[in-house]
Amino acid sequence: MAAAGLIPRVRRRSLGPRHVVGQRRWTPYLFMLPGLVLFALMFGWPAFISLQMSVSSYRIVTPVSFVGLQNFVGLAGDPQFHHAIANTFLFMAMFLPFAVVLPLFLAMLVNRPLRGIHAFRAAYYLPVVTSMVAVAVAWRYLLSQEGVLNWLLSLVGLGPIDFLLDTHWALPALAIVEGWKNMGLFMVIYLAALQGVPREQLEAATVDGAGAARRLWHIVLPAILPYVTVTLTLGMLESTRSFESIYVLTRGGPQDSTLTLGYYIWHIAFEKYDVGYASAAGLVLWLIMIALALANQRLTRRRDA
Amino acid sequence: MAVTTPVRAPEKPQPAAKTPVRRRRRQLGTYVVLVLVACVFVGPFLLLLATALKPSSQPVFSFPPDLIPRPPVVDWFVEAWTTIPYSRFLLNSVLYVGVTVPLYLIVSAMTAYPLARISFRGRQFFFVLFLSTMFLPGELMLIPRFLVMRELGLLDSYAAVILPAILSSLGVFLLRQTFAAIPDEVIEAARMDGASEWRIFLSVACPIARPTIAVLAILGFISVWNSFLWPLVALDDQSKFPIALGIAYLSGVSGADVRGLAAGTVLSLIPVIAVFVFLQRHILSSMAGAVKG
Repeated sequence: MAAAGLIPRVRRRSLGPRHVVGQRRWTPYLFMLPGLVLFALMFGWPAFISLQMSVSSYRIVTPVSFVGLQNFVGLAGDPQFHHAIANTFLFMAMFLPFAVVLPLFLAMLVNRPLRGIHAFRAAYYLPVVTSMVAVAVAWRYLLSQEGVLNWLLSLVGLGPIDFLLDTHWALPALAIVEGWKNMGLFMVIYLAALQGVPREQLEAATVDGAGAARRLWHIVLPAILPYVTVTLTLGMLESTRSFESIYVLTRGGPQDSTLTLGYYIWHIAFEKYDVGYASAAGLVLWLIMIALALANQRLTRRRDA
Repeated sequence: MAVTTPVRAPEKPQPAAKTPVRRRRRQLGTYVVLVLVACVFVGPFLLLLATALKPSSQPVFSFPPDLIPRPPVVDWFVEAWTTIPYSRFLLNSVLYVGVTVPLYLIVSAMTAYPLARISFRGRQFFFVLFLSTMFLPGELMLIPRFLVMRELGLLDSYAAVILPAILSSLGVFLLRQTFAAIPDEVIEAARMDGASEWRIFLSVACPIARPTIAVLAILGFISVWNSFLWPLVALDDQSKFPIALGIAYLSGVSGADVRGLAAGTVLSLIPVIAVFVFLQRHILSSMAGAVKG
């Protein structure tokens, strides 16, 4: 062993350190080369173009021209943009219960050593792996004026509501579809979290006669709090990103009632061909997402301190 | 897992006699809740299937709902297959998966290996660089990637769909974690034997990381199979559409019967659901692992 370790060292000295090191120096970069090229092409360059476009006027048919902050000034005074931002946060508020609260109950429900429990976990996770387009097709039947949901409502004397064509109901309906589709993902996060709940404490509390609600509040919640921040952050980001459901179910309508920032950007860029203006709005959306992520991280740090 | 056995202490016969009955009743209650919740998550898909199997004589919507197809027919599956270039869409999706996923695995592994196992200057910087792609989600990259693809002359090509899907922070991150967890002695022993880094990567590190690579392959398959948004932007030519885009196209075809649309959608779901049913344990545990890591 000692000799084996010595020989290369001697050699290295005799050939000069640069030679040997020089051969090795490029190895890590060669490994990363495909990744770096793809990063440059698919992330770096587009990010640069985004910044460039946000301060340009560009409508596909006209050449690119620098306009400074004009796009942002335009956005500041654009009522449709304001409406889209309001809708984005409204949608987030409606989506978050499906990301932060309900999945915890799902996770507690399937966190039992019962026979066949894996099948139930899988069933709850199923919508996560299916395409939004397929989910939208299925939910269009459910949400239709003559659909099963309206029949259930009629049993309790409500409705009918044409969910996707009603300006009050379209956005909540989308939140339900997105929430339903993603709940399994958040359930899995909580499932991992529940493994860390001290079982002895739970059993002791049960013996002491603490009810389910008190056990949840005093023992489970404190133990899983870090994961709540994870679901909260992911839930916020996921909701600001939601686009496919809107595209396939409502196209921002009726009367812009489901026009979120993501859909607004799409609409401006690919239906009105105002690429510069849309890029500026995209930058605003990006800043909102970064701010949300940072705020959540701040929240975690403070609690840990 | 078998926590029930120690509870039944033999020296306390009375509660032991009571407990199993009560326990069984509670267990039954739990199962009822589990099944009801499962209906919420699986129900919409079953409804889709039921709709696809309904004969044209039976209305799709009715009050109260008439969900059981009488008799079940496969006509709509045939219809979906023939009215649009359905087989073409399926073939395209197979192609997208078949090219993207292997490239995704190779690039992720090659990028992750030096970040985990070779010490070089700027390692931390490159790791952060690759992780930063997490903050550039595809939804926000639609416009600039469209412009880049146009610049490269790749718009409306298979390459335009494949290229952006090859690099992801998740792949690099998970594989870096896996490579970093390999005991030092294993790698050092190979280095002692004079193996080059490439040799170590191929013959030592990658075989050890096989479980992670398998999980990434599954996740990659699901994500490419479901991809919709970027192909929608990048493609014009219908003959290059992946299946998700084909379904959206089918739902836009005027006069297409809802039952035909349902049938087409069910067909598109089969591969993903099949993979999921067989590999669900791996998928669920890997998602939990990714969150913990």
